[in-house]
Amino acid sequence: MRLPRFEYIEPINFEGALDLLYIHKDNAKVLAGGTDLLVRMKKGLLKPKIIISLKALKELSYIKKDDSYIKIGARTSIADIIASDLIKKEACALFEACEKIGAVTIQHYRGTIGGNILQDNRCIHYNQSAFHRSGRQPCHKDGGKICYARDASDRCNSTCQSDGATALMALGANITLVRKGTERIIDLDNFYTTDGIMPFAMESNELLKEIVIPIQGGKSSYKRLAYRSAIDYPIVSAGVFLKSSDTSKNEIEDARIVVGAIARAPIFLAKASSFLKGKKFNDISAFKKAADISMDNASTFAVHNVGSTLEYRCAMVSEMVFQALKEAAIVTQE
Amino acid sequence: MEKILITLNINDKPCEVMVYPNDTLLEVLRDELDLTGSKESCGEGVCGSCTIHMDDKPVRSCLTLAMEATGTKIKTVEGLAKGDELSSLQQSFVDHGAVQCGFCTPGMLMSADALLKINSKPDEKTVRKAIAGNICRCTGYTKIVKAVAHAGNSQDHCPDCITFSKAKE
Ligand SMILES: Cc1cc2nc3c(=O)[nH]c(=O)nc-3n(C[C@H](O)[C@H](O)[C@H](O)COP(=O)(O)OP(=O)(O)OC[C@H]3O[C@@H](n4cnc5c(N)ncnc54)[C@H](O)[C@@H]3O)c2cc1C
Ligand code: SF4
Ligand code: FES
Ligand code: FES
Repeated sequence: MRLPRFEYIEPINFEGALDLLYIHKDNAKVLAGGTDLLVRMKKGLLKPKIIISLKALKELSYIKKDDSYIKIGARTSIADIIASDLIKKEACALFEACEKIGAVTIQHYRGTIGGNILQDNRCIHYNQSAFHRSGRQPCHKDGGKICYARDASDRCNSTCQSDGATALMALGANITLVRKGTERIIDLDNFYTTDGIMPFAMESNELLKEIVIPIQGGKSSYKRLAYRSAIDYPIVSAGVFLKSSDTSKNEIEDARIVVGAIARAPIFLAKASSFLKGKKFNDISAFKKAADISMDNASTFAVHNVGSTLEYRCAMVSEMVFQALKEAAIVTQE
Repeated sequence: MEKILITLNINDKPCEVMVYPNDTLLEVLRDELDLTGSKESCGEGVCGSCTIHMDDKPVRSCLTLAMEATGTKIKTVEGLAKGDELSSLQQSFVDHGAVQCGFCTPGMLMSADALLKINSKPDEKTVRKAIAGNICRCTGYTKIVKAVAHAGNSQDHCPDCITFSKAKE
């Protein structure tokens, strides 16, 4: 499969990349590992005139501890995240999510965490070859006016299948976006727009610089379900974070439950999360209840467009959340 | 769009080659440099038949631009054997009958070779994980896993290891 034509530019530093984005805006696309972008380009889903490669920007590859934060450079490879003791200890959900991304030889060395959270939403009707798509009317995401995944839908319902995004949202992470002259910080809860066509609140002249995870002293876990244990994207996933109270180690003070690969963005489930506050770490029935609330709430957003049946994926929301909660609780108690 | 002259370090030899910006490393290896060992099957990162090494790490050459490979050490399946002598991994694939149609074999070898460089005696689970990104439609994987685990690490209980080491004596 040939890639469409483009001009390739390799800025030598961060400023250079920002200048290029400032000049070319919508005409340019940033290339990190390319394991999402190049596949979409091969399928003719986008045809940028200019590719701005991050190859020379070694300064964007780092994992460091800064006070009570973990800072990860956008170009850090998935392999580096998996190898980090700091991430394993303080942000276990991210470690578990990265371990499950695709397969070692696809993403782990070339793929980056920045590219992972900025990968486009997916749908079995859209992520197809140009030949396949040419046999029918284009859908909303392809510039048309219909949706094949949900009858009579006036919008695109494509699914966010990023493993990293769900884990990072559970960890309460925020990201730093930079454009020429200004920098802004936005938390992931607000970064995802729930618009299937434009999934991120990000301008075309912005570059993702860094991901920041607060170290809150709690424990996190990530579980996902996919057809095969490698290569495939998740069809449902859950990231959770649990923190015990200062006074009683067996009491949950704070909880965050996020469900992924089911809707247009990872969804933070406020009701299920707050239900757990004040509950005990060994209260398995409370975890079961929180998992069921998660399933009820997440199901209203679910769309049948990443394979498997909708009923099965919704049922598995409960199972993934339950498993993740149990695991986070066990580590907390250790 | 103009072709650009780049230098790639492939199997320890510098190669000057003219490429288009939208050429993948796989296309340049096969079509420009006649290194046709690496195969294209899916072209979209799924199957692993195009796996090569960049700086000793296994990656998909169908999802890597040739331009992105400059300045790195590239190794392809052609770089495994020393002249006519197969590497112990390649020999083990032959001995264990791990090759049927052979289309997945170059990619399998490259994923396995990268593993053996960091872990010379991997157990079955480790081997399976390392080649989890390589699809084989013929063998059912069992013989491939054995071939990798027994490469340069001959096992007394394995009939294939014994038969072939006897034959060589
Ligand atoms: C077979 C296969 C299986 C996969 N399985 C999974 C999976 O299980 N889970 C999963 O989450 N993903 C999966 N992926 C998707 C992808 O490989 C990973 O998400 C990977 O981490 C993407 O990183 P990258 O650096 O290669 O991204 P790229 O393709 O380089 O970039 C992705 C997007 O982000 C933008 N971008 C990247 N970095 C920046 C930056 N610093 N600033 C601004 N924009 C930026 C790019 O312009 C592009 O739009 C799979 C891909 C394939 C081919
Ligand atoms: S959800 Fe509908 S509009 Fe969006 S990509 Fe799928 S078919 Fe197209
Ligand atoms: S051809 Fe590269 S992964 Fe299939
Ligand atoms: S031997 Fe035929 S695909 Fe593996």
